[in-house]
Amino acid sequence: MGPVRGRHLPGAREPIAVNPFNRVFWRPPVADEVDDELSFHLEMRVRDLVERGMDPVAARREAQRRAGDVERTRVTLRGLGTGRNRHMERTQYFGELRQDLAFTARQLFKNPGFTAVALLTLALGIGATTAIFSAVYAVVLQPFPLREPSRLMLVGEVWEGTPQVMSVGNYVDVNAAIPDFEQGLSALNYASYNLADETAPERVVGARVTANYFDVMGVRPILGRTFTADEDRPGSDRVVVLSHRLWTRRFGASAAIVGRELRMNGAGYQIAGVMPASFDLTSDSEELWTPIAFTPAQRAEHDEHYLTVNGRLKPNVSRRQVQSQLDAVALRLRHDFPKDDETISFGTVPFVERFVGDYRQRLLTLLAAVGLVLLIACGNVANLLLARGAARAREIAVRTALGAGQGRIVRQLLTESLVLALCAAAAGLVLARGFLAAVIAWSPNDVPRLDQARIDPIALAFAVGIALVSSVICGLAPALRASRRDPQTALRDGGRGSTGGLRDRLRGALIVAEVALSLLLLVGAGLLIRSAIALQRTDTGFEPHGVLSARVTLPATSYTEPARIQETLRRIDEAAAGIPGVSSAAITSFAAMGSGGGTNGLVPEGRAPVAANFINSTLRVITPGFFATLGVPIVKGRNFNDGDRADGQRVMIVSARLAAVAFPGQDPIGKRINCCEPGPAGQKVIVGVAGDIRSRGPAVAPRPEFYLPLPQTPAVAWNWFRTLYVVVRTTGDPAALVKPLNAAVTRVDRDLPLFDVRTMDQRLASSLATARFNTLLLTLLGAIGLALAATGIYGVIAYFVSQRTQEIGVRIALGATRGSVVRLILGQALRPVVIGAAVGVAASLAASRVLSSQLFDVSPTDPLTIAAVLATLVGVASVASAVPARRAAAIDPTRALQAE
Amino acid sequence: MADNRQSMTNTSSELLHGTLDTLILKTLTAGRRHGYAIAGAIEDATDGVVEIEEGSLYPALYRMERKGWIEAEWGVSELGRRAKFYRLTPKGRRQLVAQSAEWARFAAAISRVLVNP
Repeated sequence: MGPVRGRHLPGAREPIAVNPFNRVFWRPPVADEVDDELSFHLEMRVRDLVERGMDPVAARREAQRRAGDVERTRVTLRGLGTGRNRHMERTQYFGELRQDLAFTARQLFKNPGFTAVALLTLALGIGATTAIFSAVYAVVLQPFPLREPSRLMLVGEVWEGTPQVMSVGNYVDVNAAIPDFEQGLSALNYASYNLADETAPERVVGARVTANYFDVMGVRPILGRTFTADEDRPGSDRVVVLSHRLWTRRFGASAAIVGRELRMNGAGYQIAGVMPASFDLTSDSEELWTPIAFTPAQRAEHDEHYLTVNGRLKPNVSRRQVQSQLDAVALRLRHDFPKDDETISFGTVPFVERFVGDYRQRLLTLLAAVGLVLLIACGNVANLLLARGAARAREIAVRTALGAGQGRIVRQLLTESLVLALCAAAAGLVLARGFLAAVIAWSPNDVPRLDQARIDPIALAFAVGIALVSSVICGLAPALRASRRDPQTALRDGGRGSTGGLRDRLRGALIVAEVALSLLLLVGAGLLIRSAIALQRTDTGFEPHGVLSARVTLPATSYTEPARIQETLRRIDEAAAGIPGVSSAAITSFAAMGSGGGTNGLVPEGRAPVAANFINSTLRVITPGFFATLGVPIVKGRNFNDGDRADGQRVMIVSARLAAVAFPGQDPIGKRINCCEPGPAGQKVIVGVAGDIRSRGPAVAPRPEFYLPLPQTPAVAWNWFRTLYVVVRTTGDPAALVKPLNAAVTRVDRDLPLFDVRTMDQRLASSLATARFNTLLLTLLGAIGLALAATGIYGVIAYFVSQRTQEIGVRIALGATRGSVVRLILGQALRPVVIGAAVGVAASLAASRVLSSQLFDVSPTDPLTIAAVLATLVGVASVASAVPARRAAAIDPTRALQAE
Repeated sequence: MADNRQSMTNTSSELLHGTLDTLILKTLTAGRRHGYAIAGAIEDATDGVVEIEEGSLYPALYRMERKGWIEAEWGVSELGRRAKFYRLTPKGRRQLVAQSAEWARFAAAISRVLVNP
C-alpha cells in the first residue's frame, strides 16, 4: 500500500485541481460555446418579457435592443475564449509537469540505491561521450581560424600519389603561370632558430615564409604587421613575426614588443607583429616566422624539394580548373628542365583535409566506441527501470484505476528517466572535464588543435542532447511496458509484478544488446592491443636501449665554409666519444624516429640516368661510430674508417634493402652507384652492406637507405641539413649523459645549444604515441563496457532470482538438487548472453574494417582476438550470473514458502 | 422614459467599470449561476438601477475564467435547456474579499467628500 498513502498520485483525478470539469469532459469548440451562451441569454430575456405580458414579437425586438451589438460581442468572446483555452491547457500541462517532477523527486529520494547506480552509470556514459565529442569538435568539427578554409589548398609536386613539397624553382614557375589563386601561392620552409637575448637562450621551431603567406592563409596579426614584399628579399629580411604562444611565453604578452630587436641565430631581427592565438594550430606548430627571401640562385633551382606551398582558390574557381592549369605548367617544366623535372606533375589537396589527416578517422572511431559505451549504460538503466516498473506495478495500477490514462502514466515514467538523465548529464559534465584532461594529457602532442578542446557551451549542449536521447532510449520501453499492464491483475497479484523474470523478452533483448555491444568494443580493443604487441615485438633493426640522441644546428650565418662545418662536427664527435661511460659516439644527419632524413634518387651502374631508373633512397651522412652506437650490423663488407677522406675514393654503405633493389642477385660490394652530386664525385663505390632499419617507426617497413662518410658529404648537402644528431651509447643510464654531452658540445662551440635531447627509447615510444593513445582509450572503453554489461547481467539474474524465490523454494521442497537449481538459473542467464555474443561477432566482423588502417600485422577479423574476447565475455557473464544462482540454490524452502 | 433608461445604462456602465467583476463574484457566492441569472441578480439587487448588457457581462466572465477566479461548466437550466454555469473558485473568493474591502474604502472616501460640505 506504501506508495499510495497520503500522496497525490499524479494522473489521478483530484478534487481541487485547476479545472477538473473542463479536464474531464469534452469542451465544445469556442465558436459553438459563444453562440450557445449568447442565444440562451436572449431566449431567457424574451421569455421573461413575455411572462411580464409583452407580446412575443415585441419581446424579441426589445431583447435584441437590450443585447446591443451582438456581432461585436461574439467576436470579442471568441477571441477571449480561445486565449482562455490555450492558457488553461498550458496551466494544466505545467501543473501536471510540476506534479510529475515532485513525484519523481520523491521516488528518486526514496530509492537512493537505485538512484545512485542509475545516475552513476549514465553519468559515466554521458561524461565519456561528451569528453570525446569535445576532442572531436576541437580537432575535426570546429571551424578553422582561417578565412574561408574550404578555398585554401596545399599545392605540391605529386609524389607517391599525393601532392607533397616543391622545389623553389618549380614554386616560382607555377606561381607565375597560374592566375586562379588569390594573392598567388605562398611558400613555407621550416627552420629552427637560436633565440638569445636578456633571458636564457632557447631553441624554437619557426618557418621562413613568403610575404603573402599570412594573406593566403587568411589570418591577420593582432599586433603590428606582417612582412612587406620588400622585406621578402635577401639583405632586407631581418624581420620576424611572433606566434601568440611565443609572445606570451617569452615576452609576457607585452604590446610594447613590436619594433624591438630580437637576437636570433647571432643576428638582430626587428619584431614586426604578433599573430592571434587561434593561429597556433597545434601545440607544437612553428612559433615565429621570418621572410624566406629567395636568392636568384634558389629561384633557379628545380631539384631541391622542401617548400610547403599553399594557395587560396579564387571564388568560383574549382580545383579541377586549377588542375588543368597545373598540368599545363608541368608539361612545360618537363620540357624546360628535362633533368630535374622529367616526370614532374602537380596536384592540390584541401589544406584542412591534409591538416587534420587521419585523426579524423581515429577520433570518429573513438566517438563511435564511446557511443557504444553510452548505449550499454542506457541498457543497464533501462533494466533498472524495468525492474522498478515491475516492483511499482501496484502503484501504477492504483493510478490507472483512479483514472490516469496510459499517456499520462508514460509521461510520468518518462519524466523520471528524463530527470535521471539530466542529473546524470550534470554529473557527467564534471566527469567529462576529468576525462578530457586525461585524453589531452595522454594524447600525442602533434594532434592538431586538441589542446583547444574544452567543456564549453557546445559540449554542454551536446551533453544535454544525449541526455534527452538516452532518457528516451532507457525510459521508453519500461514506461510503455508499465502502462500496459492490466491494473486488475496487478492489484490482485499483490504488486509483485507477474511478468517479471527472464522469460521476459524485453529484458532478454537488453542483455543481448549489451553483450553484443561490449563484444564489438572488446574486439576493437583486442585488435589494437594485438597490434601494439606486434609493434613492440617488431625488430626495428637497431638497438635503442642505452642510446642518447640530441640535435644541434650549425647556423648558416656563422658556419659558411664546409671545411669549418666538417671540422666542428669532427670535434663534437671526438668530445662525445671521450665522455666517461660512453662506449661509442657518432654524428649523423638522421638518427631514426624523428625529423630529418632527405631522400635522393640513386642510379646503379649500368643503368641510364633517367628518372625511371632512380631508386629513391634515404641518405645518412655518418661518422664511423654510427653502426656501433645504434647497434646496426654490417652484414657484408666494411665500415667507414679514417681512410675515407674528403679527397679519397668516394665510398658508400647501402642498406640490405637497397642492395637487393639496386643489384638483385649480385654481390653489391665494389659496385658503383651514382648519386647526390654531379660529376665524378657522384660516382660512389659500395664498400659495405648494413642491416635494414625501420627509421620511420616500427609500423613502417624498412625503405632503401644509404650512408656516406661525413668527410665526403656533398658540399650542396649543407643547404639541406644544418641540423644533425649527436648519438652516444653507454652501458649505464643514457639519461645521465645529458649534462656531460651538453658540456662536451659547449666546449667545442659555446654558441651551439643541444636541443631535442632524448633517449632512443623515448623516440621509439613517441613514434608509437598515437597508436598507444588509441589502444589505451579503446581498451579503457572496452573495460568500462564490459563492467557495465556484467553489472547489467548480474542485475537481471539477481532480480530473476528474487522474483522466483517461492518457485525455487517449491522446486527444492519437491526434491530438486542445489546443482539443478544453479543449472536452471545459469541456463536462463546464459541464453541471451550466447545470442548477444553471436550477434556481436557478426557485427564485429562487419565493423572492424574501420580499424584496419590502425592495425599492424593483425587482420581485422583475427580469429584469435575474437576467440579471446568471446572467452572473456562469457567468463565474466558466467561469474556475474553465478553469484545470484548460488544465492538461489541456498534458498531455504520453508522460509521461502512462509514469506507469502 | 426610454431615453432616460438608456442614459442610465450608459452612466452605470461607466460607473461600473472595474467593479463589475466584484459584483459578479458577489453574485456567485450564493452558488453556481448562468450568465442571464447573474445579470438578473445584479439588476434585482440594485432595483434595476444597474443594468448589464451582454457586451460587458460575457467578456468579464471569460476574463475571470482565464484568471481562475471562476470556473465554467455546462449543465441544464431550471427550464431544461443546456446552459453554461459559472461558479466561484477559492481564488475568486479571495479576490472578492480584497475587492470588496477596496470598494468600501473608495465609497467611504467619496461619501466623505460629498456629505461633508
